[in-house]
Amino acid sequence: MRHVPSPVLRRLVDEPMAVPDRDRRHLTGCDRCQAESSKVAASAAVASRLLAAPPDVAGVADVDLEWIMLQERLREPGTPGRPVVHVPRRMPRRVVTLGTGTAVAAGVVALGVGAAAALNSIYAPTHVAPVTVSPADLAAVENIAGLSGAQLSGGLPPSGSRQLAFGELSWTSAGAPRQVSSIARASALTHLAFSAPATLPAGVGPASSIAVAPQVTATVHFNASAGPTIGGSTLEVTAGPGIVVQYGSRTGSDGLTTLAIAVMARPVASSTGATASQLEAFLLSRPGLPRGLAQELRMLGSPGTTLPVPVPSGMSAQQLNIGGAPAVLITVPSGVASGVVWESRDGMVHGVGGLLNSGDVLGVARQIG
Amino acid sequence: MTHRGSSPPQTSYSAFERFFRAEYPVVVRIAFGVVGDAQAAQDVAQDVFISAFRRFPDPGDTDQARAWVRAAAAHTALNAIRGERRRDRRQRLSGIEVAPVGPEETVLDRESRAEVRRALSRLPRRSATVLVLRHNGLSYAEVAEAMNVKVGHVGTMLRRAESALRKELQNASRA
Repeated sequence: MRHVPSPVLRRLVDEPMAVPDRDRRHLTGCDRCQAESSKVAASAAVASRLLAAPPDVAGVADVDLEWIMLQERLREPGTPGRPVVHVPRRMPRRVVTLGTGTAVAAGVVALGVGAAAALNSIYAPTHVAPVTVSPADLAAVENIAGLSGAQLSGGLPPSGSRQLAFGELSWTSAGAPRQVSSIARASALTHLAFSAPATLPAGVGPASSIAVAPQVTATVHFNASAGPTIGGSTLEVTAGPGIVVQYGSRTGSDGLTTLAIAVMARPVASSTGATASQLEAFLLSRPGLPRGLAQELRMLGSPGTTLPVPVPSGMSAQQLNIGGAPAVLITVPSGVASGVVWESRDGMVHGVGGLLNSGDVLGVARQIG
Repeated sequence: MTHRGSSPPQTSYSAFERFFRAEYPVVVRIAFGVVGDAQAAQDVAQDVFISAFRRFPDPGDTDQARAWVRAAAAHTALNAIRGERRRDRRQRLSGIEVAPVGPEETVLDRESRAEVRRALSRLPRRSATVLVLRHNGLSYAEVAEAMNVKVGHVGTMLRRAESALRKELQNASRA
C-alpha cells in the first residue's frame, strides 16, 4: 500500500483540491496516514500562529504616504536610475478633521490655509495676522474657490479639480490624513520636528491621537477670462505635511479631546507669470467677495508675507507674541475654548487649541514656541 | 516670488507606482510576519521597493517583478532579524542577562515574538523564506514563483521548514 507522502499531507492542509483524489481516498481509510496528517496539520497551525501577520496589518500603512516617502528616497542623490523629476515644495497641508475640542485650533489653521490658497497669491508668509470673517464671507470664499465648507474643514479628496469662473483649480495630495503610533513615527514620515510640552494644563490627559497629514499641492490655471494680466498664468500653492497631536482628558472620559497641538510647514506659492500684487488685486476684485473682507485683506498689507488667520465673527482675537513671533489668540465668548496660531522663525506654522482658557493655551504654546 | 516659464515636468514613476500600490500590502504583510512590528515592516518594504525600482523601473504586470519583491521582502526582513540575533549574542557574551525561555507551549502561549524571530533566524534561509511566504498569504504557486522552485516542491520545503521551526523552539526552551 502506498501511503500519502508527507508533503502531500502538508498541501492537503492548505490546498486540498490540489491533492489527487487517490491520496484523499487513501487517507480516509488509513490510520497511519491520518495520524501523520494530524501531526503535519498541528505543525502547520503552530507555524501559522507564530508567523502570520494580523489580517489588517497592511491596512495600518497609508500606501499613499508610503509612496510619497519612496519617491523622496528615489530622488535622493546617488539613487541609481532615479529619473529627473520635479520635486514639489513643502506646502500647506490640509488639516486633520478633529474632535470638538480641537475645532478652534484646527479650524483656524485649516481656514488660514484655505484663505491663503484662495486669496493670497505668490508668497512665503513670515507672520500671521487676524482677519475677521463672517459665515457670509466664508460662503463667498468657498463659492469663488469652488469648494464647500465641509471640504475645507473636513478635508478634500486626495486629488481633484474644480472649474472656476476664471480657470481651473486642481489639487493633489498624498492621500488622507492618518493616525500613526508615535510622535517619532510622525516625525519620520513628515520630516517635521514636533515639540511636545513638558507640562500639560490641569485636566489634560496623555496624548490620545497622533495624526499626520500629507503634502498638498493646489494649482490654478487662469484662463483668458481672468484678463490679460493674469490669463494664461499658473499659480501653484504648496503646503504641509503636518502633524496633529490630540490629548484626552485626565479622567479619560468618553474620548474627550481637551487639547490639540498642530505643526505644519508654512504655505508657499509660486506663479508662472503674475506678480503677487497682480494676483491680490485680481482675487480681491472677484464678484461675490464681500467688500468688508476684501478691505480687511487689503489692510493686512504685505500680501506676500502675511498668513491671514480667520477669526469667526463673535469670537475675540488678540495679537501677541509667542517665542518672539506674532501670534493670534482666539477665544470663544464664554472663555471655555481658545486657540493660538503663530509662525515660528523657522517657517513652521503652529496651532494650539482646545477646551481650555486662554491662559492654559498660552502656557502650552510658550513651552513649544 | 518665483516665476517659471513652463509647468514643471511630471514625474516618470507612474508605471512603478501601479506596481508599488498593488504589491505594497503583500510586501508589508510578509515583512511583518518576520519582524513582528508594523513600523519595522514598513521600513523593510521601503528598502525592498527602492531595490525593486533599480531592477524593474518599469515593471508592468510582470510575474518576475512580483516574485522578486515578495522574495526580497522575506530576505530583507530575515536580514533585519539576524542583526537582532547578533545583538543578542553580544549581550550574552557581555554578561547581560537574557530573558529565560520557557517550554514550547509556554512560548506559544506567550506568543513571544522575539523568540520566534530568533528561531526563524537560525533556520536555513530557504526554510525561513518558505515559511514566511506561505504563512502570509501566498499560494503554493506564488511561493513557487517567488522562490523559483516547482509547485510540487513547496509542500516538501514547507513540511521540513515547519518541523525545523518546531525543533528550534523546543531547543530554545531547553537551553
